[in-house]
Amino acid sequence: MRGAGGMNRSTVISILSAVALLGVPWVLSEFWTFIAIEVLAFALYAVSFNVLLGYGGMLSFGHAAFFGVGGYAAAILVKSAGLPAGVAFALLPLAAMVVAAAFAAVIGFFSVQRSGIYFAMLTFAFQMLLYTIALKATGLTGGDDGMTGLKPPGLLAQPLYYYYFALALIAPALYLLYRLVSSPFGYTLRALRANPRRVQYIGVDVRAHQLATFVITGAFAGLAGGVFALSTGNVFPGWLNWTASATPIIMAVLGGVQTFLGPALGAAVYVVLEVLISGRTEYWPLAMGVVILLLVLAMPSGLAGLWQRKAAEVAQ
Amino acid sequence: MNEPILRVESLAKRFGGLEALGGVDLAVARGEFRAIIGPNGAGKTTFFNAMTGLLRPDRGRVIFEGLDVTGEPPHRLVRRGLGRTFQITSVFPDLSALENVQISLLGHARQAWSVWPKARALHTDRARELLGLVGLDKAEGRAAGTLAHGDQKRLELAIALAGEPRLLLLDEPTAGMAAQERLESIRLVHRVARELGVSCVFTEHDMAVVFAVATRITVMHQGRVLAEGTPQEVRARREVQQVYLGEAA
Repeated sequence: MRGAGGMNRSTVISILSAVALLGVPWVLSEFWTFIAIEVLAFALYAVSFNVLLGYGGMLSFGHAAFFGVGGYAAAILVKSAGLPAGVAFALLPLAAMVVAAAFAAVIGFFSVQRSGIYFAMLTFAFQMLLYTIALKATGLTGGDDGMTGLKPPGLLAQPLYYYYFALALIAPALYLLYRLVSSPFGYTLRALRANPRRVQYIGVDVRAHQLATFVITGAFAGLAGGVFALSTGNVFPGWLNWTASATPIIMAVLGGVQTFLGPALGAAVYVVLEVLISGRTEYWPLAMGVVILLLVLAMPSGLAGLWQRKAAEVAQ
Repeated sequence: MNEPILRVESLAKRFGGLEALGGVDLAVARGEFRAIIGPNGAGKTTFFNAMTGLLRPDRGRVIFEGLDVTGEPPHRLVRRGLGRTFQITSVFPDLSALENVQISLLGHARQAWSVWPKARALHTDRARELLGLVGLDKAEGRAAGTLAHGDQKRLELAIALAGEPRLLLLDEPTAGMAAQERLESIRLVHRVARELGVSCVFTEHDMAVVFAVATRITVMHQGRVLAEGTPQEVRARREVQQVYLGEAA
């Protein structure tokens, strides 16, 4: 597929991206560094969602459940577990992933029994269940008020350092997901998207494959939620509301579901647009809607699709 | 080897008031190239589905290589060495022809759960061999969905063969082809099956195709076996001529 020239180009792009990512806090103000952390978290969230949708053909309306559960797991660990701050914080990534994976295992077990819109409705129903629990289990979750005042220990409370902490978790997480979709597991997943019945007849247990994907992507969404929770310092039940599940869908479609990193690009554009627009008008959801509408209409295969088209033109 | 590779005993399936299979018996010997014929609605596809785990039979048993596999899910049956193809061609349309076969090879090698190695380079030699075997070596880079209908059928055969089945069930392997292409196509299946030592059971409407390759013929009618025998025997049976051959001619 890719010639030697292409290899060189992608190596160059990788190096440039690494330099850019590492340089971010030195170039940007503290506020924008804080936003960059949000971009990182949502990039992982959107990519994990798109492994389900773009590769596995499973449209989940409940992916926010795992982002939210990861956020709450992190908040409870830091605030109410009674561990020394440093220990609680060190355990955060693992805890967010494990708890989110456990929830994904239960929700996924039931949801993958169905496909298409029924799968979507099941994920949606489970998420609303969790939303209600977050609202009502005041003792554990703070109810309607959520959990606030979360802080990473020491220097990490500064966006500059927290940015590197987030990057050190999210870059490897994205790499692991990339390896996943390029692996035999990922190839089988792509095959399953188009033709689950045929996949059964190559000797693969389709439901088990879908469930494993659901759990893995749920765990990474949980990690994203945990990282984001300690950056903003809050977790709210709204994270688990059904509208929250629209976010990764928009990011993925905006960035392009056909590419691995497209949704990450979509996440960056979405987050930055939201900051820019919401600072200027209280009608920002309206303005946001119009912008997304135009972007999607102008670029049916997303921002990544536009990029690829340009690259193809250059190559010719 | 006296034990038939496939033995089906009084397999029955009912859909509401419709008796789709009314107790079908079948015994296929190793090395056979068995045709199942019968008019539309005779229950051929239901029979295939009930044998291969897509439908749960109400009664009866399916015994593959001496082992009762009744009601086992498709992926288990495939791992046991029972492959199948579909009447409506079933490939992975957005993946290349090579990837289609690679994925089947990965499944067969129990590597579908392997999450670290890059899949792109795995089993490419064997996949090319299989594509060559069905005459698709020139098409390896093309998206399966863009191949001509007949080529997709051949690709599906390669996908099924990648699982190294000892028995292959082919549901109308020549459906949707022109008369001349049908004969070529079934001869290809026949030759490849011989080469790889795969026993076959196939359903077919075209009598020319059936008589060209079948070792034995089972005639189904209204969910039951009406007759069975060598092509000569079946051709001579009067009731077969009435329900099927007469109708077709």
